[in-house]
Amino acid sequence: MLEEVSKRGIMAHITRSTRANKILKTAAAALASAGLLTSLTACGLGGDSASQAQGDTVNIGVIYPKTGQYAEYGKMFQQGFDLAVEQVNAQGGVGGKKLGLKYFDTQSDAKQDAAVAPKIASDGSIIAVVGDYASPASAAASPTFQQAGLVHYGFNNSAPTFTDTGDHVWTPQIGQDVYQKANADIVAKTAKKIAVVYIENDWGKQAYEYFKQEAEKNGTQIVYESSYLADSTDLSPILIPARDAKPDAVVDIGYGPDGALVLNTLRDDLGYQGAFFGGQETKEFLELAGKNAEGSIITGSFSATGTKDKKAQEFVKEFKDKYGNNPGNFEVTAYQAIIDLAHAANKTEPTREGIQKALQTATDFPLYQGNGGTFKFNQQTRRADNIEPILLIVKNGKFQQYEG
Amino acid sequence: MIDTLFAGLIHGSAYALVAVGMSLIFGVTNVANFAQGSIVAAGMMVAWWLGGPLGLPIIVVIPVVALVCGIIGLLMNIGVIAPLEGRKPIAALLATIGIGQILDNGLQLIFGPQTRSFPEILPTHNLQAFGVRFGTSDIVMIIVAIISMLALWAFLKFGKAGQAIRATSQDPDAARQMGIPVASIRTLSFVIGAVLAGIAGIFVGLFNGNINPMNGGTIGMTAFVAATIGGLGSIPGAVVGGLALGLVEAVGVRAFGDGAHDLITFGALILILILRPQGLFGGAHDATSEPMTGTFLGATRPIELPRWANWVLAVLLLATPFFFNDYLSGIGIQATIYAIAAVGLTLISGSAGQTILGMAGPLAIGAYASALLVGTLHWPFLLALVASGVIAAVISTVLTFPVWKLSGHYVAIATIGLGAVTVAIIRLWEPLTRGSLGITGISYPNVFGAVLNTQQEMYLLNAVVLLVALWIVTRIRKSHVGHVFEAIGADQEAAEALSIRSGSYKALAYAIAALLGGLAGSLMAHEYTYIDPTMFNSTMSMTILTIIVLGGMNAPLGAVIGSIVLIGAPELLRPISDARILIYGLLLVIIILFRPQGLFAKKG
Repeated sequence: MLEEVSKRGIMAHITRSTRANKILKTAAAALASAGLLTSLTACGLGGDSASQAQGDTVNIGVIYPKTGQYAEYGKMFQQGFDLAVEQVNAQGGVGGKKLGLKYFDTQSDAKQDAAVAPKIASDGSIIAVVGDYASPASAAASPTFQQAGLVHYGFNNSAPTFTDTGDHVWTPQIGQDVYQKANADIVAKTAKKIAVVYIENDWGKQAYEYFKQEAEKNGTQIVYESSYLADSTDLSPILIPARDAKPDAVVDIGYGPDGALVLNTLRDDLGYQGAFFGGQETKEFLELAGKNAEGSIITGSFSATGTKDKKAQEFVKEFKDKYGNNPGNFEVTAYQAIIDLAHAANKTEPTREGIQKALQTATDFPLYQGNGGTFKFNQQTRRADNIEPILLIVKNGKFQQYEG
Repeated sequence: MIDTLFAGLIHGSAYALVAVGMSLIFGVTNVANFAQGSIVAAGMMVAWWLGGPLGLPIIVVIPVVALVCGIIGLLMNIGVIAPLEGRKPIAALLATIGIGQILDNGLQLIFGPQTRSFPEILPTHNLQAFGVRFGTSDIVMIIVAIISMLALWAFLKFGKAGQAIRATSQDPDAARQMGIPVASIRTLSFVIGAVLAGIAGIFVGLFNGNINPMNGGTIGMTAFVAATIGGLGSIPGAVVGGLALGLVEAVGVRAFGDGAHDLITFGALILILILRPQGLFGGAHDATSEPMTGTFLGATRPIELPRWANWVLAVLLLATPFFFNDYLSGIGIQATIYAIAAVGLTLISGSAGQTILGMAGPLAIGAYASALLVGTLHWPFLLALVASGVIAAVISTVLTFPVWKLSGHYVAIATIGLGAVTVAIIRLWEPLTRGSLGITGISYPNVFGAVLNTQQEMYLLNAVVLLVALWIVTRIRKSHVGHVFEAIGADQEAAEALSIRSGSYKALAYAIAALLGGLAGSLMAHEYTYIDPTMFNSTMSMTILTIIVLGGMNAPLGAVIGSIVLIGAPELLRPISDARILIYGLLLVIIILFRPQGLFAKKG
């Protein structure tokens, strides 16, 4: 009995001493971590103030898909960016400083955009950001840039809500409302009854809504409609009923590879011979669709062979000298994005504030697309106001300007 | 209509051809080979190069493609799959995901990213029937599918090596005692499977017309669905499943439009699993093997930290937002979101041993619920956060309700389908969710009137939620119900003999995981301020599962470590941008090979 008690006592003692030990250890650890904290000079939760730009180079941050499913577009963008920066620097840079590019591969994936945005925002040498390819990915990064007072120039983002994030989010893209109005109008010229297919994503959905509005206004009858998923490989289940509805024309609102798939399925598999409106002004589309592409009509903003603007013709020549082929819409918008921002920096000063101020005040941004000349921004929507879409048609395996 | 059916049949035979190889490997090695689609893509790209730029005829293309893909299969088995033998097949499954990433990105590096047209090494549009043109290529494709099915069947039935393959698949130990060189037999079936995949690649290329080095993922996933519909492991089943899927898709898409494509494909998968779990051709006995359940090693234990260390870690986590810069906090935000989503899986996948491959579903529900509650109904953020967790748990539970009566790997497969179906419903339910347009301008988290909009503030919020999640999960693991989960995971039959209703407990464990997934989704919605259905894809589901596998299935803290590695690594690897995702896949494979129990667990 007594033994039992003393044993218990010893046990209690041991437990107590380990507990005391634990408390000591906890306290020591807490102290250590507190020490670590103070030595790291805590800066609170307010976020970084961007490090000040050092030296004589300022940069434009590029978020773009270098790898992944959209890598083809990333490649085209990069050609436009690189050429533009070369030219800006050859002409003396921006406000006496050299202009550089800092590329960040995001695969145009929202998760990666959101992750890399703070890194860009806290880099003081970056005075503006261009990209990304897809609007959802861009939109995931915008709030961070907005907060950092950094202009996010979404040159490829035609989604109507893109600029809603805040006053630092801009895009020179022609809105889909304008594009699709032009598209529906040209379709109405040749067809009374049409079948429409469109890509099932934020862009395709919105574009089709605008197209449908205008088509209804024009009295064009839509006899069949369906969306399709970007990764579908067999579209005959929707194109058979589209063909069987006997439309005067089939309209596809989508990108390049899927546009080629729609077209090839219609022509090769289903024997459809009628008019086709769709496709994309890329080498990829023309190669994929081959002969079938002949006569396809799309709306665009630029034609390398058709442009009458002097500086645009010069750009085409320089682009061809550097890369061996004519630039398309993706290359020219990328090129122009850098030229726009350099123009802005030269108007005011090559800083974040300077770019924002210039976008709000300058009215003479050089325009390479549409009819050329210059453009300005609508201060309510932060979109380019006066860029006219043009029509493009495939003739002899190439896109050419089409007068309608 | 007959033209649609006919087109569906042709498409279905392309599925069938890929599904045959998948079913063979599954039947023999019990490995669900998620790299199979990528091997198909490898065959397709090699065939493109031979037939296109080099201009070689099909008679040369076929043997070279077979050789190349055979070598890929051989290397894959010797280098990665064989060393994993004897471990739970979930290890091999995840290794195949890593291999798939290496192959996909390797192909893109080698061949360039653009979509291109496949050379017409066989005429593709020279014939016509029912108003649909097709080609010699399609006829040959169907014949190849049927011949490879018959040849495999004859080989397995009568060939000496074939009989050895079957013996191995039925009972590897008994086969070994009979003197069958089990290792070489497994290698052989991997090589045959890879050769079949390569040849399938040629015909899929001819059929699709437009090809891209990244096509492998989609091809593999649809073939997997086809093989499951036919009955995993059954070769004739794979052919029938492929044809059936082709027909169902054609008819369904014709009726509802291609926007409903995913819903039709994965809806068909779930329907078949509910009505006939073993698939059309699978024998009832197949349903009892459980290759996708269990942890790497049954006996792994999480590394137990003393209590003071846990407190220190918690304090450290809460302190990091105060001295991390924006970039580090940004990565911290991503890592904590994924850790919150993954930590619940330690209950359902770790303890109860049920692999979940569709966690993107609950995340999507949580994200949309929260965005709508705050945006449309003007609920305060914190209330919406909690509510979206609850909503995600309730909806996920209702959706998965019929699944728990299934056994073994069929539950895991069903969760793939449920994840996809959830997102497809969100996409189609436009009046509520705005469908593909996504929801923009979601407000930043607002906690008691303070808008959290710096990276550090949002990171701190996530860290707090993560600590709560870790606390909940740890408490549950130590409670009675936690031990019940473990009993089910350790030996489901024994647990049921003790009248534990394993299905109900798995549903409960899954509901908890879904609740935490919903919280993660809500945080994601308010921190990205934008959501759309494409964000919640199968890659997200795989990432979440991989996180706890890396960290240690039984270790809640492992979820944190796993997500730091998986979310942080792509950022760390940023300087080598071209090969970034490739190296990432390689890392995954290496960790599985050399630390199979997970980073934060030790062998028992």
